[in-house]
Amino acid sequence: MNAIPCLTIQDVANLDGVLGDFLKKAEAELTVVIDRGGNVISQFGDMTVMDVTIIAALAAGSFAATKELARRIGEIEFNALYHQGNGNHIFMNSVDDDTIMITVFGRRTTVGLVRFYSASAAQNVGALLKALSNGGHGFSFDASDVTAAPVFAD
Amino acid sequence: MSIINYASREIQFKIVYYGPALCGKTTNLGYIHKRINPENRGDLVSLATAADRTLFFDFLPLNAVVIKGFVTKFQLYTVPGQVIYNATRQLVLRSVDGVIFVADSQWEKMEENVESFKNLEDNLAKQNISIDEIPYVLQYNKRDLENIAPVNYLEYVLNNRKKRVQRVEGVSSTGQNVFASLNAVSQILLHKFSKQSDMPKTASSPVALPVEPSMPRKEGAAV
Repeated sequence: MNAIPCLTIQDVANLDGVLGDFLKKAEAELTVVIDRGGNVISQFGDMTVMDVTIIAALAAGSFAATKELARRIGEIEFNALYHQGNGNHIFMNSVDDDTIMITVFGRRTTVGLVRFYSASAAQNVGALLKALSNGGHGFSFDASDVTAAPVFAD
Repeated sequence: MSIINYASREIQFKIVYYGPALCGKTTNLGYIHKRINPENRGDLVSLATAADRTLFFDFLPLNAVVIKGFVTKFQLYTVPGQVIYNATRQLVLRSVDGVIFVADSQWEKMEENVESFKNLEDNLAKQNISIDEIPYVLQYNKRDLENIAPVNYLEYVLNNRKKRVQRVEGVSSTGQNVFASLNAVSQILLHKFSKQSDMPKTASSPVALPVEPSMPRKEGAAV
């Protein structure tokens, strides 16, 4: 049985540092780091305008859905995807085999700038995630901490 | 894959509703979305065809109990049941923490139930997960219809294993036992992860799944 992956306060601060620097340089609105199952690992930027959890689930699906398309032209997968809107756009790039970075941006910047800075940001995020602790992080709960009452009530 | 986040004080879990086409997976999610307090849920996202068949997946994020100051967040997904969409099912199963297998109780659906369950085992195996390791419950759905197989028969074809799992008889169209199924798998999940939390990376031991958790209530409340 593997331990639960854990983001300590320091891990989150380190990730925020990388993502904040990226957003500033790229002049984007929001960036979210997710695993390929759609779970949010870290997020930075203006989160008031959208539900990040839903963006993550859909982006993971979108990224995976194009894998077969990539395969048809002899690629293992596309490293990056770009969805262009009228005013707001989404750029997604692969961090590593398990992780994707999503960037939402508007009219203040261009896809070229976002793409340029996202490459180094993804590298830095990847390095931080590799060093994440699994277990032994001080948080534990046992069966008696879990209520016997229904988790969800009808 | 569950993740503990100290900064936001959250623990995330992913639960997938699996089963043959038209067995009621999306109906389960629709009922939960309708009944749960809007403060504790996000939008129900449904990627369906014009005929309301699930094309990609349905998705519903929920906030649940607080454990030691950490909010548990459950992300509910359904898979498309149609046989041809196996690649999509594999994608949705990625990083799964728990499964609710929804079986259609009608006699003519037995073969599809068995095929779908086998497909679940195969797709989990592709992620190096054994069905015996993952928390899951069986929901025998559509118990209100006339041409249904008895529960004993469903148990024989779907739960005839060394270690039997919890089963729930449901009618997802009316909501009967929809929450019972979700609560059953959530409790098993939380108990499993209570054993895993703070465990060193190298530790390994077989997973034991409590079927009827009955621990005293300490912290947290139903939402």
